[in-house]
Amino acid sequence: MSRAASRTGAALRPGLPPFLACLALLLAWQIAARFLAVGGVPDALSTFRELPAIIGDREALGEIAASLRRMGAGFGLALLFSVPLGLLMGRSRLVSALVNPLLMVGYPVPKAALMPLIMLWLGVGDAAKILVIVLGVSLPIIYHSRQGARAVEEKLLWSAAAMGMSGPARLARIVLPAALPEILVGCRTGIVLALITMITSEMIARQTGAGNILFNALDMAQYETVYAMILVVSALGIALDVLFERLRSGLTGWAEPIPSPAIAPA
Amino acid sequence: MRAVAGSLHGLVGLAPIAGLVLAWQVLLTAGWVPSALLPSPGAVLARTVASLGDPAFLGHLASTLYRLAAGFAIALAIVFALGLAGATSRIADAALRPVIRVLAPIPKIALYPALILSLGFDDAPKIILVAADALFPILLATYGGAGAVEQKLLWSARAAGTSRAGTILKVVLPATLPSILTGSRIALVVACIVVFLAEMITSTDGLGYLLVRSGRAFQTVDMFVPLLAISAVGLALDGALAAARRVLLRGFPEEE
Repeated sequence: MSRAASRTGAALRPGLPPFLACLALLLAWQIAARFLAVGGVPDALSTFRELPAIIGDREALGEIAASLRRMGAGFGLALLFSVPLGLLMGRSRLVSALVNPLLMVGYPVPKAALMPLIMLWLGVGDAAKILVIVLGVSLPIIYHSRQGARAVEEKLLWSAAAMGMSGPARLARIVLPAALPEILVGCRTGIVLALITMITSEMIARQTGAGNILFNALDMAQYETVYAMILVVSALGIALDVLFERLRSGLTGWAEPIPSPAIAPA
Repeated sequence: MRAVAGSLHGLVGLAPIAGLVLAWQVLLTAGWVPSALLPSPGAVLARTVASLGDPAFLGHLASTLYRLAAGFAIALAIVFALGLAGATSRIADAALRPVIRVLAPIPKIALYPALILSLGFDDAPKIILVAADALFPILLATYGGAGAVEQKLLWSARAAGTSRAGTILKVVLPATLPSILTGSRIALVVACIVVFLAEMITSTDGLGYLLVRSGRAFQTVDMFVPLLAISAVGLALDGALAAARRVLLRGFPEEE
């Protein structure tokens, strides 16, 4: 009886508190906007009333979809080279020594700030924006892939080598699965970064996209639209996070959960 | 022997950086890329060195550093307050965790327009944005670290007569310090990046503004200078924090 109760409690637990937290935050916003009247902050309800104007608008939806497409493309491209490079760095000291200083120097460079330069070379189109997203996303994925590859049990590799598995095959069939939980931690950080870089790149090269809508509304001082767009972007961030969490527990349910590290830089 | 091997490894690491700079120069001397689009590495370096003696540039650097420091300090203060609340009260802890879980994945830069609308174009919105972005890495790391404190240590301390407040100060805080410092290191780099982006969006001074101004004037050499400067600031602060960590955590295993 008590066991069943605790089980339903556990089943409720993962989704419910964050949901309640969302409600509480919105409520706090509503109350603060009503009674404190900070300059120019619309209350939560009127912001929600503004939402259909964005979500119902074909053009706006298309722009947000274009943003997501660029983000997906950048993320995919980054995955393609970051994971193998990270795994290789984790398994080979030479590769690690060769590449690591370059990554360390690149680490504090604000990737989205390269946008003006990259625009000079590639124009203001999708290529520049996707490249910036690739740059922004790849570092945490490389870093975590490397950490994961380092922690692989040596004996597994020895056994595989003894059974005649070649180096690349070992990397793909033993190191990759073993490092997957850690790689996914890097991907989670990468998703947050991709979203940040996406918004920032669109804000610098104003043409299309969610960032463009947001900052155009700012320029025209459309307070409600600004806040509604912030809601949309925040919802995107949270939705991607939740989706990814689902994917991760599906892929690596066998592994001990790794405590999620801090959200890393843009 | 080991030191020699270590420095050799260090030298190996310089090769790709040198190769990159070399490739950059070759692109230019071969005439594949016009120098209006990509200035030579020598020119960039010379302009950077010259800028360091320029009071106007130093002024921009100072305002960026000021925003960085103020935002980071606010973030640390909030972490301290929330960490203390979470450590002393179970209810506060249970209420705070889901709120943090919801707020952490939101891209904070999206809040910047709202901050500008409410707070104007001065330092305030930039400082708050830096604080908001620096807050979560430290907070998440702190919570992770505090959750991993060995329960037996707490029981022993309590059994030995330490008060609740004393346990937090003498057991939980030192045990969490490595996590706090790791989180701070990530947050510091985030803060450098965000302050730069905020200055690029709306500003009349600061390193980010310098980049945008040079970009508008199509002066590519000058666009590299603020980028190099903010990266150097990030590396220097990161190094300083790593040094502080070594002093504070003598005896703890070194992190990579």
